[in-house]
Amino acid sequence: MKVAREFWYMLRLHLLMHRSFIVIISMVSLGFPLGFVLGMDYLIPDISQQTATYITMGAATQASITLALVGLPQLVAEARHFGRLEYFLSLPISREAYLLAMAAEAMLIATPGIIFAVVLGWWYYDLALHFEPLVIPAILLGMLSMAGVGIGLAILVPHLQAVNAVTQLLIFYFIFFSPVLLPAEQLPEVLQWTAKLLPPGYAADALRATLTDLPNTNLGRSLLAMAIFSVFSLGFSAIAVRRRA
Amino acid sequence: MQHVLEIRDLVKRYRNGTLANAGISLQVAQSEVYGLLGPNGAGKTTLVGQVLGLKKPTSGEIYLEGVDVVADPGFARRTIGFLPQAQTTLDDIHVDEFVFHIALLRGLDRAEARLATGTILAELQLEEFRRTPMRMASGGVRRLAGFAAAVVAPARVLVLDEPTNDIDPIRRQLLWKAIDRRRAQGTTVLLVTHNLAEAERFIDRLAIIDRGRIVREGTPSSLRAGVTDRLRLELTTQNGFKPHPALTPEPDAPGRYLFDQSALATVSDWLAAQRERGNVVDFRIGPPTLEDIYTAAVLDERPRESVA
Repeated sequence: MKVAREFWYMLRLHLLMHRSFIVIISMVSLGFPLGFVLGMDYLIPDISQQTATYITMGAATQASITLALVGLPQLVAEARHFGRLEYFLSLPISREAYLLAMAAEAMLIATPGIIFAVVLGWWYYDLALHFEPLVIPAILLGMLSMAGVGIGLAILVPHLQAVNAVTQLLIFYFIFFSPVLLPAEQLPEVLQWTAKLLPPGYAADALRATLTDLPNTNLGRSLLAMAIFSVFSLGFSAIAVRRRA
Repeated sequence: MQHVLEIRDLVKRYRNGTLANAGISLQVAQSEVYGLLGPNGAGKTTLVGQVLGLKKPTSGEIYLEGVDVVADPGFARRTIGFLPQAQTTLDDIHVDEFVFHIALLRGLDRAEARLATGTILAELQLEEFRRTPMRMASGGVRRLAGFAAAVVAPARVLVLDEPTNDIDPIRRQLLWKAIDRRRAQGTTVLLVTHNLAEAERFIDRLAIIDRGRIVREGTPSSLRAGVTDRLRLELTTQNGFKPHPALTPEPDAPGRYLFDQSALATVSDWLAAQRERGNVVDFRIGPPTLEDIYTAAVLDERPRESVA
């Protein structure tokens, strides 16, 4: 199939372009879970099993936020700034294949960090985790929806520096003001609402639902929300790059 | 005869109000190397972007092999091999991997792509840089790799935006030979350049573009025809040199003068005397170059005060 072929070659081309960057980023993305899982233990004395479970699932989600919602938009904005985006768009390939290849690259790089966070939390806090097969689509959809929104953000915001600034702010927003590392009930109502506007809250919820016994999860709603985010953000981006300036 | 590329009354106004193309019409025949010349910001790259279907014209028409590419930009992408103005940083990918993957993305199968990559790298003498990451390659090698990618899969039309920038003189010859070989096989070339000496030798027809309009168009020799009653003199001087009254200094070009062809005998006698006295170290007389024509064309079109 033509689109699948283009996706595959485009993904390979991106992995080859970023081959040394990938090694560095993978190391760094292992550092984030390490920081969250161990650091929170120092920050919060006598941490409860429940809090530790939230932190572990949140750390795993943060691993994909860092790559798909922060790193990826910066990379796309940079590609646009330096003319690489336009160059690839001048090739006779499907726009969707190109966008999906960029998303897939971020997803591949994010995966080790997600697994590492879960394993680290499970080992360090001796968490009672269980494994439900639905965790695989949950993780994939989580990463895809964030990557889609990340690419959309880079295409919507016209300046490289602006994209960098916005994504830096997003990191703090997701650590402290969204139900990623903590239960939604602990947040003021307005932040519970804003959390619904972006995928990470749903991604964290889907992880809790498929790996833990934490209360108040809603797997069906989260999977559906992430699927909608994926389709709309990538669809929007494909239309936006096709619509010529 | 149907033209391979036909542009009619092309206008491009950006959303910020900049009028980049102010009504451009041109036609390019098959196997023709058509040059776009003009100062920075003249609208050349905007024009190229519209031909490639990356930018949408405000008004006007673009036909590629008779197909309306404003309506069907995909056709432009399938037909054209493109070398962008700024060869973008492609980070760590090796030169051969880059060319190979572009071949695959342009529709060749793996065996064809491998063969075509080997052939074009040999043709451009890039073999020793096969395994060089694009990030580490010199500007010239990067540019040649970009050209290799533009031609690695058969393209009936090539759009090359300043292809010889950063390339050393020897490799530049290789590049021109490669372009020429493709032209001989029927490829049509649209070429943006600043390098007038090269344009003179390799371009069949050209348009001088300034502020979004074509100010002169024709073959290099037809453009020269308008000014052939004058000759140009380039001088290297020393001591108390004073130019002969027959010489008109060229604006903004120290050591360059224009004079009437009828004064040739007078000027050459005077030059011989000046040389004997040691006032003139070196001189060169010739017909006006494209550069003279270009300068004259661009200056002519602009109001006096904006030049001074």
